[in-house]
Amino acid sequence: MDTNGSWDEDEDEEFEFSRNYFLAKELASSAKKSKHKLTDIDVVDEQELREAASRIQPKHGDDIALLLDSYKTMYPEWLLALRCGFGLLMYGFGSKKTLIEDFALTALTEYSVVVINGYLQSINLKQAMIALAEVLWDQMKTKRRVSYRELPKSQLNSQSMEELLTFLDQAEIDDVDFFVCVVIHNIDGPGLRDSETQQYLARLAACARIRIVATIDHVNAPLFWDKNMAHTQFNWCWYHVPTFAPYKVEGMFYPMILAHGSASQTVKTATIVLLSLTRNAQSVFKVLAEHQLSHPDEGMPISDLYSVCRERFLVSSQVTLNSHLTEFKDHELVKIKKHSDGQDCLHIPLTAEALQKVVLEIN
Amino acid sequence: MAPSGCVTDSIHPSTAPEVEEKDLRPFFVLHKASSRKKDRTPTAQAKLCKTNELSSSPESVKKLGGSMTEGCDLHLFQQLQIEAFDIVWEKIESTIKGVLRDLNANVFNSIQQWVLECFNTTKLLGQHTIAEATRSFPVLNNTTHGQLFTAFIVTRNIEFVDDMLTFEELGHFLKSHGCHVAKLSSLEFSLKNGIAGCLKALLREFVGCVIDSADISILASWYREHVNYNKPLVLIINDLGRCSGSVLTDFILMLSEWIVKVPIIFIFGVATIVDTPRNILPSHALERLCPSSFMLGTPAERMDAVVEAVLVKHCTMFSIGHKVAVFLRNYFINQDGTITSFIRALKVACLLHFSMEPLSLIHGRALAEDQKEGKSAVSPETLLKYIDELPLYARNQIADHHTKKSTAEALSELVTMQKLWSTAVLCLYEAGKYSRVRLLDLFCEALSQDKYLSTGPDCRVGNERNCGLSSTNDSCQQYSIMQSGGYIGQIVRNVRDLPAVMLYQLIENWEKLTADISEIHEKLKVLQSSLRCEDGKSPRKSSKDNPKRYASRISVNTDKDARMLNSQAIAFLNCLVGNFLKPIEGMPFHEILCFKNVEKLQLVLIGDPRRRIQVDLLEFHKILRCSCCSKNGNALLPSRHDSSIMYSLAQEHGDLINLHDWFQSFRSIVLQNKNKRKQSAKQSPQPKKRKAINGSADQNEASIQARFCKAVTELQITGLVRMPSKRRPDFAQRIAFGL
Repeated sequence: MDTNGSWDEDEDEEFEFSRNYFLAKELASSAKKSKHKLTDIDVVDEQELREAASRIQPKHGDDIALLLDSYKTMYPEWLLALRCGFGLLMYGFGSKKTLIEDFALTALTEYSVVVINGYLQSINLKQAMIALAEVLWDQMKTKRRVSYRELPKSQLNSQSMEELLTFLDQAEIDDVDFFVCVVIHNIDGPGLRDSETQQYLARLAACARIRIVATIDHVNAPLFWDKNMAHTQFNWCWYHVPTFAPYKVEGMFYPMILAHGSASQTVKTATIVLLSLTRNAQSVFKVLAEHQLSHPDEGMPISDLYSVCRERFLVSSQVTLNSHLTEFKDHELVKIKKHSDGQDCLHIPLTAEALQKVVLEIN
Repeated sequence: MAPSGCVTDSIHPSTAPEVEEKDLRPFFVLHKASSRKKDRTPTAQAKLCKTNELSSSPESVKKLGGSMTEGCDLHLFQQLQIEAFDIVWEKIESTIKGVLRDLNANVFNSIQQWVLECFNTTKLLGQHTIAEATRSFPVLNNTTHGQLFTAFIVTRNIEFVDDMLTFEELGHFLKSHGCHVAKLSSLEFSLKNGIAGCLKALLREFVGCVIDSADISILASWYREHVNYNKPLVLIINDLGRCSGSVLTDFILMLSEWIVKVPIIFIFGVATIVDTPRNILPSHALERLCPSSFMLGTPAERMDAVVEAVLVKHCTMFSIGHKVAVFLRNYFINQDGTITSFIRALKVACLLHFSMEPLSLIHGRALAEDQKEGKSAVSPETLLKYIDELPLYARNQIADHHTKKSTAEALSELVTMQKLWSTAVLCLYEAGKYSRVRLLDLFCEALSQDKYLSTGPDCRVGNERNCGLSSTNDSCQQYSIMQSGGYIGQIVRNVRDLPAVMLYQLIENWEKLTADISEIHEKLKVLQSSLRCEDGKSPRKSSKDNPKRYASRISVNTDKDARMLNSQAIAFLNCLVGNFLKPIEGMPFHEILCFKNVEKLQLVLIGDPRRRIQVDLLEFHKILRCSCCSKNGNALLPSRHDSSIMYSLAQEHGDLINLHDWFQSFRSIVLQNKNKRKQSAKQSPQPKKRKAINGSADQNEASIQARFCKAVTELQITGLVRMPSKRRPDFAQRIAFGL
């Protein structure tokens, strides 16, 4: 019977999946682990890197344009799904921003469209809801439909989230074709990722006067939604639309892996910071660096640093030392680690080679 | 296939301006609704479509779809689709709701009885004057606290999503029986909301307006008002398992102190086990509850009821093909197990039916008209009428093969056969109840074209003959079905061994099922008359006799007679399977009613981003269909998309990718291109291009690094690669292993 068949298939699939995982693990441990370091790459200047990044010419521009055009034949189908009360969820590799905005501009002209840029770092969902409510309010006014609450538009600002959701629901309007369309780029984006926001979005999607067209890029995005959200509130129709278009805006907020701008210090930035400090401060840093180079595995206790610095007449009191340390900490030149005996130890977050280079530079 | 819009302007992602200001705003209004409004009455559109018939050249549906957009506006066509979908789905949805409500009716009634009893008991606790009751502290003369009556409703379901509707219905039911009902979701009992949040929500539900202060005395005085008083207060919380224990404990303790003024009765939904409350609540809260429990039907029971009403009895004539049925069944059993998702799958199937099959339009409109006239299902006459009004290109599909007369005949056969089919399935299901066959399984098998054909024409002819019921010479046909395996075979085998009492009961039930269908009822009568002859005593009133009397009579008969009866029942089933179990897919015009495109359904219903995004990357060239990248099969060519190259390279690593190695291999692949192009550039007479390619080495290096960074970022956006951690600064982590 075909039940058994499909069970077997599923099990096979699962087996395959776990097998792949363990194979990958094994590969990692058996093959000798590559010792190459990221710093071995001769990275060009960060400025240059960023310039080069902005000049990258996308490959296959024409093919991609053709691919996007081919999706136009799907527009009527998408519109139908939307008008029948489903939400559209677009996925597939490549930025889908241009695609769905084009869809909204050509196929959704009869409906108001509000765009939410989910790829941004922070989004105030309530503000967006207020904007939606205002758009719906305008639309109701032009269609001469009177809201049951007779709510003046200016008051929408002061409504609570619950009241806004009720306003957007307007269940008593009978026309199913009366709605505002919300386009959400990256509903899985960083600004919308927390579960509370997703709950609100699901409730928004469930409102009778709202239809959602959204995109996802993360392979695990469906894990945001429980069955109620996915099946009854969002009510997704999935469409696989790979575009291979570059993630221009979406990728803007990710650090470049070779630029190190945020995560770790490089020789260059450390030197620049140190050169801007006083001679004494530089000398204090040197004391610390020497200690770290001679005892690579342990940090330097603050008391030790103080006594050495005092001996060399670099600081006169604990207070001056602390002010230097604060400066270092602010620029992430120094980190504090707890030693196994509970003492606070200072540590420079740089490799030995990099540290040597820094010391040479400030000399 | 839906007609396509004309493609004139194209989207050019590469020529789009760099990041615009609006891209950096969290949200903005793209445009407001245009005031253009079309005439949306269906008749107006139908007429419009009709008058726009200009050409009648038989072209492919797709092309005609395109030409139709010129004559009959796309918008109007879509309006028809929407109307058809709305009519059909509304009917299905209300049928499903009705079925589920009927299933729950008994439980709901007993819950309502219980609520009344509890209310009467609590009323006895305190009969107070208004002055006493509105005092700001609770009135309790004795020191013991009151107990809160609590019903635990065991949903027997792991997923709460199916039960949300049930609890909503329960709420309406109790409200209509004179209770005050508040429904709080388990999300409200969260630590973040706290006890104050719960109270506010409770006040909102009961009192009906938003109140800022969380004070239970407001509820007490509201309840004391004359209109509200003397009705039970019921609080429904649909999923106890997801409530925060500490908040719920506080809530229960507080309400138990107010029991006299606010006699609240709890109804909790619990998933599968009755000891959920014990896991969530501490003993001092538990002892404030006075529990009873109620059971709801299992998902499988509900499933069968839904399938019966919607797909077997054809409340709208909408039906699905065999492959779609098997897919839905596996989706229910293997993946999800919730009725909600099954219903949703059905809804998507319905949408796709109207979206992809132009003939389906007749279905919706005919149903609407027949509903107006009070008919229970679509009649062939109405179908025929609407074929005339079909948009031209869809009608051509039919006109190619049939004259109008044959169309009418075929349509009426389709409708009759569908009725016969569903009655046959119901009879089999009735028999299958004794061997616990699920309707969903049986349904899938009954739709199978192979199964029907395997019974073979000989067998059907044989059946025609043996439906004259000479049960002695039918052995070969009987055994063919019995041995055929599958659920039908199982049912038939079980009927063979069915004790006489049950068999009589079964025949009674069959009689009820086939009452309106003369073709099958005739056959059943033959079976019954032969029973009487064997019985040999009271031929006149046997069919109206109750089974017990049959049984007492049969017990007198010999074992051989009983066997004969069983084999006659089998002959009847044989005849059903052979003659009436004709799957809809084999009939002309089934496209009007039947949705078959399982691949499309699967795509739209279940997105599989994890697999498909990886396939996008690994098989980039297949999707883009460019000639340059597919030259060497799957070899990594530099012309491929950077992220695609990077992801293919990542496959060679273990769970950790050394960034340095990754970069070097990416670089070598990209440069391989440069070297080749350099070679070819020597021959090509385009010095300018060469200059651009040979630009300073530094610039090349910078651009390769930038492309590497960009590709890593893109992979990071898709979540396929995780960035290096502080502990392992030189390694990125792979997330997905295999498709």
